[in-house]
Order: sequence, then C-alpha cells, then structure tokens
Amino acid sequence: MISVSNLTKTYGNKTVVSGVSAQFPARQLTSLIGPNGAGKSTLLMMIARLLAPSSGDILLDGHSVTGIPIADYARRVATLRQSPDFNLRLTVEELVAFGRFPYSRGALTPEDRRVIDEAIAFLSLEPLRGAYLDEISGGQRQMAFLAMTIAQQTDCLLLDEPLNNLDIKHAVQIMRALRRLCDEQGRTVVLVVHDINFAASYSDHIVAMKGGAVHCAGPVSEVVTEAQLNALYGLDFEITRSPRGLLCNYFNLSGEPT
Amino acid sequence: MRAALFGLFIVLCGASLLVGAQQVVWSQVFTLSGDAWLTITASRLPRLMALVLTGVGLSVCGVILQHIVRNKFVEPATAGGLDAAKLGILVALTLLPASGPGVRMLFALAFCFAASLVFVAIVQRIRVKNTVLVPVIGLMYGGVLSAVAEFYAYQHNILQSMQGWLLGDFSKVVQGNYEIIYLILPIVVLTYLYAQRFTVLGMGEGIATSLGLNYRATVALGLMLVAVTVAATVITVGAIPFVGLVIPNLVALHYGDNLGRTLPVVALGGASLLLACDILGRLLIYPFEVPIGLTAGGVGGVLFLLLILWRGR
Amino acid sequence: MTHKPIPKMLRYAVWMVVIALALAFLFFRADWDFDYVIPKRLVRLAAMLIGGVCVAWPSIVFQTLTGNRILTPAVMGYEAVYLLLQSLLILFMGTQSLVALGANGNFALSVVLMLGYSWAIHRWLFRDGRNNVYFLLLIGLVLTMVIGTFTQFVQFKVSPGEFSVLLGFSQASFGKAEPGQLLASAVLVAAVCAVGIKTLPTLDVLSLGRDQALSLGVDYQRAVRLHLALIAVLVAVSTSLLGPTAFMGIFVANTAYALARSIRHRVTLPTGCAIAIGIFILAQLVVEHVFNYRTTVGILVNLVCGAWFLALMVRTRGNA
Repeated sequence: MISVSNLTKTYGNKTVVSGVSAQFPARQLTSLIGPNGAGKSTLLMMIARLLAPSSGDILLDGHSVTGIPIADYARRVATLRQSPDFNLRLTVEELVAFGRFPYSRGALTPEDRRVIDEAIAFLSLEPLRGAYLDEISGGQRQMAFLAMTIAQQTDCLLLDEPLNNLDIKHAVQIMRALRRLCDEQGRTVVLVVHDINFAASYSDHIVAMKGGAVHCAGPVSEVVTEAQLNALYGLDFEITRSPRGLLCNYFNLSGEPT
Repeated sequence: MRAALFGLFIVLCGASLLVGAQQVVWSQVFTLSGDAWLTITASRLPRLMALVLTGVGLSVCGVILQHIVRNKFVEPATAGGLDAAKLGILVALTLLPASGPGVRMLFALAFCFAASLVFVAIVQRIRVKNTVLVPVIGLMYGGVLSAVAEFYAYQHNILQSMQGWLLGDFSKVVQGNYEIIYLILPIVVLTYLYAQRFTVLGMGEGIATSLGLNYRATVALGLMLVAVTVAATVITVGAIPFVGLVIPNLVALHYGDNLGRTLPVVALGGASLLLACDILGRLLIYPFEVPIGLTAGGVGGVLFLLLILWRGR
Repeated sequence: MTHKPIPKMLRYAVWMVVIALALAFLFFRADWDFDYVIPKRLVRLAAMLIGGVCVAWPSIVFQTLTGNRILTPAVMGYEAVYLLLQSLLILFMGTQSLVALGANGNFALSVVLMLGYSWAIHRWLFRDGRNNVYFLLLIGLVLTMVIGTFTQFVQFKVSPGEFSVLLGFSQASFGKAEPGQLLASAVLVAAVCAVGIKTLPTLDVLSLGRDQALSLGVDYQRAVRLHLALIAVLVAVSTSLLGPTAFMGIFVANTAYALARSIRHRVTLPTGCAIAIGIFILAQLVVEHVFNYRTTVGILVNLVCGAWFLALMVRTRGNA
C-alpha cells in the first residue's frame, strides 16, 4: 500500500504539486486522472523516486521510502514511462530478461528464466519472442515493456500514460492485463490515464487531481459521478450505468463547455 | 559467424608478425636466437600487442559512450575526448617539462574525464530531435577544446609538434616504450563484468532507475573507463578515429545491442579492423609505412559512409 | 508590424560601434601615414567587410534552413576541403606552390574547388528527391574527420618553414588578402546579395519549417536548393579569402537574433553582418596591439566564440 502525505513539488516559483495527501490501496488498481498540467505525472514520478519532492513524505507499507536503497526499491516498485527515444536493438526476450536485473544483475538463473517465460506468456507475446523491438508495432512494443515490468516481480507497478498512441485493441489488452495482475497476482497498480472511460471501467479506486492538488479520491462509484466530473473537467457528462460497466459521454454537448 | 571472425583475427595476427621492413629469417626465430628473434620480441610482438589492445580498447570505448549518451554516432573522437587528452598532454608538457609518460597520461586522463562529464551533461540538457545533432555538437565541442590547445601551443611555439603526438602511429611502439597500453586489459575485463549494467544504462535514466541501477555512479564509472583507455592509447600511439564508431554500429546491425552477448564480437572486430589497417599501411608504400591514423581514418571513413548510406535507404 | 523603437536603436547602435571600430583600426597608431600604413589597412578593412558578410549570411540562412540554432556551414565539410587543398599543395609542391600559383591563383583554385564540392553534394543529396539537411551534415561530419587526420599528417610531415606557411592558410587572417582577390570577391558577394535580397520573404516563411512552408505555397525543395547554393558561394569566398572561421558563424547568428529581436531576415541579416565585421576588426586590433602578434585572429576568434558556444549550449538546452 502506498500513501503520500503533504507532498509538494516546486520548480523555481512554480508549484506543480501542492500538499497532496492520498492513499493507493494495496492489491487494487488505482487510476490518476485529471486535466493537463494537474500534476499527475509529477506525483507518480515522485513515488517512483525518479523525481525528488520539495517536501512531504512517501510511505510504502507504512515505512518512509527515503531510506531504501535503489536496488531494494527496484524489487518492490517498478515504473513504466513513455520512451519515445528508446533505440536499443534488443529482442523482446532480451528486453523482458532485463526485468530480472534487480535480482541477478545480468547472470540469469533457472528461476529467472521461469519468471521471464511466465511474463511473456502472461501477455501472449510468445510468437514475438525473438523479434527485434524496432520491427514490431507500437502496441506490441508497449506490451513488451509491460512484460519487462511484470518480470520484475514487484508488489507495486506504476505506469505513466501507458495507453498513449495505442489503438483500441492494444489499449484494451493492456488494461485487461493490468486487471489480471491485480486480481490473480495481488499486485498494486497505479496508472496515470487520460481516457476517463478506461479509468472508470477497469479501476477499483480513483484519485482525481486538478491544479496540483487532489480534487477528490475514492472508489470508482464515488468519483465517477456527473457532479464530480463536471467540477473536474468543466464539461457536461452523461454517465450510463450498465451491467458491462460505466460509460461517460462528454460528446455532442448542448451549450458551451464551462 | 563468430568462429569465422575469430579465425580471421588469428590470420591477421600472423600476418602482422610477418610484415615489416626488416627481413626476418624464420629459422632463427624458432631457435630463439639472433637478430630475427630480437626483431620479433622488441618490435613486432609489442606492436601486435599494442594493435590488438588499442583496437579492443577503442571499440569498447565507443560502445560504452554510445550507451551512456544514447546515440549511435558518438565515440571519443566525436565527443571531445581526444581533444581533451591532447590539451591535457599539452598542459603537462608546459607545466612539468621533465615528466615521463606516466605523468602525462594522468593529465590526459583527468582532462578527458572532465571533458566527457561536461559533454554528457550538455547532451542530457538537449532535447535532441535528430541523432546527427549529437556527434556534430561533439565535434564542435572537440573543436573548442582544440582551439584552447592551439592558443596555448601557439604561444609556446609547439603547435607543430603537438600535431605530431596526436597522429596515430604504431611505428613508435617498441619494447620499453609502450607498456602503458596494458592498462587496457583490466578496463576490458571490467567492462565485460559490467556489460549488463551498461546495456541498462542505454535504456535511459528512467528505466535504469526503475530497474535499480545507480544511474549517475554507473555513468561516472563508464566515463572513467573511457578516459583511461583514451589516455593510454593517445600516449602510446596517438589518436585513431572511427574504430569506436564503425565497429559497434556494424555489430549492432547483426547482433543487436545486448552488450552481454555482443561485447566479445565488438572487441574482436575492433582488433581485426585495426590489424587490417595497419597491415595495409605497412604494405602500401613498402618499406615505408603510412601511419595508422591515416589508414584508419581513410578505411574507417569509407566504411562509415557506406554504413550511413545503407541505413539511410 | 510596428517596430518598437528600442530594437531599432540597438541596431543603429551596433552600426555606430562598427564604424567607430573601423576608424580606430584605420587611424590608431598610424601617425596619419596616408602613403603606406593607411592604404594597407584599408585593404584589410575591405577584406574584413567582405569577410563579415560571408560569415554572417551563410550562418543565419543555414540556421533558418535547418531550424536549429547551433549549426553552421562549417560542419558541412567546406573548411575541411579547403584545408585539404592547402595541405596537398604544400605536401607536393612545398613552398614552391606559393610561387607557382601566386596568391591569386590559390584563391581562384580554392573557390573553384569548393564550388565543385557544393555541386557534388547537391547533386548527390537531391538525387532521390531527398532533401535531408541532416544527412548532409553527417557527410560533412565524416569528411571533416577524415580530412582532419590527413591534414594532421601533412602538418606533421612538412618542414617547420612549410608548416608556418600552411598555418598561415589554416588560420583566418587578413594579411594575405590582395586587392585583386578582394575585387573578385566583392563582385561575387554583391551578386549573391542581389539574388538573396529578392528572396528574403521566402526565407522568412522557410523558418517555419518544411510542412508549414509547403502549405503556405512555397516550393520548398527549390528554395532550399537555391539558398544552399548561395551559401556555398559565400563560404567558398570567405574560406579562400580569410581561412576557416568555424565557430564565428554561430556566435554571429545568435547574437544577431538577440540584438535584432526579430526573426525577419530583412533585419537579422544586416545586423549579423555588422556584428561579424565588428568582431573581425576587434580581433585584429587585439592581435596587433594587445597580443603583439603572438596569436592569430583565427585562433582568438575560435577560442572566444567557441567558449561562448559551449555556454550557449548549456544554457539554452541546445535548441533555442
């Protein structure tokens, strides 16, 4: 379980994240939503320890993360970001194998190989095992990176906008895989996502941010309401509840957006 | 494929021992006596060792730098490392004129390391949109360092001899004069042990940290390894461009970027290329020789152009 | 578009400074010697004037074409080709080459050679309809490195006497410009400027990038080709007349943008020329009176502009 308390990040005199306190429940999928510039990615990067906070605390299972060495943290929290400039020529299998780096530093044991095979199978990437990353499609590449973080076998998975530039089929595949990671393997998943419908349909918990602070947080049923979303995005929402899940319609509005 | 490469390497080693201005009477060699043995041990064998080690060192340097900077076209010649080493030697010569190669190497090392740190910092601040930009910047950066060296050298009137030390030339390698190059051996061993780390480095700071690698420490280590190699080679033989550029790119085309697997191929490839260039240089205008800086520059340049064209298609 | 008064005053101020420097150069410690010293200095001043235009124009236009503020035509390989020619001449003909060709002959030969180089590049580059300036850069990079090693070799091999002659060619200086060359250069430069001035508005549109320019109706390929050709002529003249001036172009271009506060070439080009001329005069003054010839204009300019270039890189994240 991850919790942040009074977390702030300022660049010069510009405050990007101000006094954020939130909880990301264990073994559940939490989505971080909000308009552009709300500070969602910054918050995630601070939890991932890729950015140093200006003030505040981050707690992992009740203990502050600041003392934990990088190598140990890598066995508990894995992060996946956009890498548009990734240009290493590796096969899918080699990339996934690097997920075992925090454990074996390059010398793979039979146990490592088993984990790698499992990760590849989990995402049905078997046919692409030997293909080079620059030969497969964007969606498949994203799946390969996800497999790498799965092979890292951490309790927590942090993903920064994993669905960007993906077609709907691959986006659904990724969300389904993340859902299975929570349900079948009991991992905690936190992701920053733009599409409110993906967030609503696949999450357990939502944290909504606006202007650097938490706007509202709670289970999906509490946050995904017309009133909350209107206040968050400034658009009129029409939310349909059906057995398949929640659907938010914010298109073809009558009247201007506020 | 690898076996073929290894075989080629052995053949080239043998050829290197055979070629030379001195006629070697081979019967004398096998009885370990006479002038022939002296030629072999004092000149040919050291030269062979220097060639192999330099080739290995330069190509490994190139591949490390490429992973740190995350650009396919960097190597010590296009990242200011060589020019910094030149400046270091210049400063050593003018400040401590009586110093031996060891002290000069330390100066070269220090300057090269500092310059590489600055270069990496510069590149990381740039949001690079095009891969050609980085080596161009590196070349200009090297040009600035060169300008500083020229300014200094012009004032002290050693501009011409400065051009001399920097030109790659294996003919000055004789027994007693080249042992510094053996420093490359531990460097290569270390690189091999750390190969996985350097590959992870090439994935970018975000992924590297997520995988638990201490990014900054590993970058510093990589740059230090590069600096030692560059300093050792510049002091012993001078500057040799392109080896660190061409070989890693060629290897990556066929074998990918996983250093754990490709490092031996890169090393062998570098040594073979240098051996081939050297033999060419010694045969072209026999019994005189064309310095390796020139042959490597020419052959390497042509290879690199072909590489660009082929990739550009 | 209303021009704010302050930038305009700045631009005029730049020209005032340049004129003051020119006068200082002509008359400082000359003892009003109108027979020898001042005419000689006038010749050098003319060289600086032409040289200034030949450095500023290509750099600014090249940066417009590539959309990047840190590049300069020097990395395209021109200066390497020039140095190669000089090295070969010295290597094969020794200092006899000076006598055989004469300074004018050398000048003419280098201009022709560099124009030939440009033609070769353009033909090859535009052959497949490709218009990738970065590709050109890569070729220039390789050539610079390869020719660089060759030049190093020659520089080392020749005798010290020949080396100082070679050095004279490889460092920018105004001493070797002769009136005949100056006249030829002036004609060439004037021709280029005449053509260029007519296309200034197109240049402004080109700075928006390829896609935007095309959608605004500019024949992108043709325009780029034309401007690269003009650049080639100017670089050929400046390198033959003065020698290589690597980093000065970037310094001049960026300072011009900063002082002119405008991206319109009608404004930046004259300002750039003024700055370049000013730098040359200043450098020459410093070399003559401060360093007493213990350095050359080329080394000094490269050093200062190069260091400034590094600082620029660090501050502006490389893509101002």
